[in-house]
Amino acid sequence: MTLPSPVMAVLRKELLDTLRDRRTLVAMLVVPLIVSPLLMVGVARYSQSRAQEAREQTLRVAVVDPHNDSGLADHLDAQPGIEVIPDRDVTSLSARIAAEELDAAVLVDENFQREVAALHPGGVSLLFKSSDRFDQQKSRIKDALASYEQLLLGRRFAALKLGPEVVHAVRVQEHDVASAREQMGQRIGGLLPYMFILFCFTGGMYPAIDLAAGEKERGTLETLLTAPVQRWSLVLGKFLVVTLTGIISAVIAMLGLYLSVAYGIEGIPPELLSAIGQVLEPGTIAAVFALLVPLAMFFAALLLMLSIYARSYKEAVSIISPLTIVVLVPAVLALIPGTRLTAVTALIPVLNVSLATRELVAGTAAPALVALVFLSLLALAGASLLACTRWFAREDVVFRT
Amino acid sequence: MITVQHLAKRFRLSRQQRRSREDAGSAQGSEVQAVDDLGFTAKPGRIFALLGPNGAGKTTALRMIATLLRPDAGQIHIAGVDALADPVAARRKLGFLTGSTRLYERLTADEVVRYYAALAGVPEPEYRKRRDALFGALGIDAFAGRRCGKLSTGMQQKVSIARTIIHDPEVIIFDEATSGLDVIAARAIIAFIRQCRTDGKTVLFSTHIMSEVTNLADDLAIVHGGKLLYSGTFPEFTAASGERSLEDEFIRRIEAAESPAATTSPTPGART
Repeated sequence: MTLPSPVMAVLRKELLDTLRDRRTLVAMLVVPLIVSPLLMVGVARYSQSRAQEAREQTLRVAVVDPHNDSGLADHLDAQPGIEVIPDRDVTSLSARIAAEELDAAVLVDENFQREVAALHPGGVSLLFKSSDRFDQQKSRIKDALASYEQLLLGRRFAALKLGPEVVHAVRVQEHDVASAREQMGQRIGGLLPYMFILFCFTGGMYPAIDLAAGEKERGTLETLLTAPVQRWSLVLGKFLVVTLTGIISAVIAMLGLYLSVAYGIEGIPPELLSAIGQVLEPGTIAAVFALLVPLAMFFAALLLMLSIYARSYKEAVSIISPLTIVVLVPAVLALIPGTRLTAVTALIPVLNVSLATRELVAGTAAPALVALVFLSLLALAGASLLACTRWFAREDVVFRT
Repeated sequence: MITVQHLAKRFRLSRQQRRSREDAGSAQGSEVQAVDDLGFTAKPGRIFALLGPNGAGKTTALRMIATLLRPDAGQIHIAGVDALADPVAARRKLGFLTGSTRLYERLTADEVVRYYAALAGVPEPEYRKRRDALFGALGIDAFAGRRCGKLSTGMQQKVSIARTIIHDPEVIIFDEATSGLDVIAARAIIAFIRQCRTDGKTVLFSTHIMSEVTNLADDLAIVHGGKLLYSGTFPEFTAASGERSLEDEFIRRIEAAESPAATTSPTPGART
């Protein structure tokens, strides 16, 4: 029996070394499995609670009705969650709304009743202070004003002896033929590749820095290079470890995302949960995984090349960290509505993975295009591994000081 | 045996290196000749010292011999293997130890040595036999299961030695192997170098410390500015220095090489 071949020896040693590194474990396991889901659930729950608060908050609305004959104040007061404050001092309203003493004010025009009686629209002004939390409140006040308009329209139709349906000459019925899965894929399908691209990169980042720049800084690289093995064996062993950590990190991020969506966030519609269940069928998982592997290989080669170029661990961190944003740009492009998977976008790295994954999640992916994405990624991964091996053979890179 | 002939290596300087050379008043230019027509032979069962001041080209020469760098010109043979034609086979014949090398802090002493044995393709039974012998001789057994990051400098040095010779190389290269070590750790290295000679290995070590040469060397070469200033046996060098101390003789040769006349007339005692 002999000891493992050089590649296996490097793979085993680097894996052991990497799994004993706390920084790598945090980036590869803790962040995607615990921190990200907790943050996601936390943000979702906080946002839900704020929306609930905005829905349930009683709005203080001043109504200025010069003749006090429109009935608008009474109508608004009868609406749940609206407290009408009769007011006549128009001049101070804006300041009071700005100071948040009032949530809004409704000003009835001087000749409102005359216009309504003449079957013209009666004028009403709505004063409010726009802010992130006012959207919900504004829609509640507008709903109340709309119901007041319906009340007046009902009276007009009755006086004219017409039914309310007379204003509708065409009845449009909408039928969305997209399945729940497709709708989910279009709406949130872009989030999935965004997450796994991010973690595929960050998961491999620290091992890559440690395995190349770290070895250089410690001085162990020089000794390692005197081992009687081909240079490519060393590179391949390191490359496999970085690829593996990237994949593990991305898979764990997916698991964390699923667990947080399925169990951590309340109020998710059952049809959405059912659609998520459909996405988790073996075929879709296998297809997404098939795209993830060459992507992780490409990232691993890129990270190792940058890492070995750096003079020290610190320099490698400063070179590689900003790249996290760079690799996410194509993933964000995929979130822009109208960006589709075509024969051209299938050849653009990272963007192609994002778009293909979105289509796979929605169940609308064209097999030929997904195959093109896979093949182009595989070619890119192979080319980048070759470049990485050549890069490691360069004296001015390996012994750069 | 190590045979080196007409070895040369030129480096392109980085902007930072160019600037620091200019600041130091050194010659300007975008390249530097680190090693220039270097040649010597180190024989089995003898210790060959490569002596020179900092920046003389010792490390570059040793890196080329260890196949880490490829020379621009010249030939290197390691235990009969052409190191330029078959660097992997040459590396199989050599062990390389530098003073600046640290170990993998998260691996145990045992794991580090096993890793290098695996890379060298040592068969498992052979590995076990050599590991037991080495660990026993160096006293590593007591801490073999401890992670290297937790070991003292002396313990780490012993592990480095074990890792260097686990594949039983014929040639062992030490690049300033005692630099930065405390007296006890340095003494362990010195003892190990002597043991290698006793075992019939070819030993090549670089240093800028004359006392190490006095203690160890059978043969020596002095390099300066990448060029060979002297090559011969230690007794020959002692005889050539006459009444002067060995250190004075070393400095005299360096200063003679730096004087303008050195470019036209050969340095006394120089041979290639």
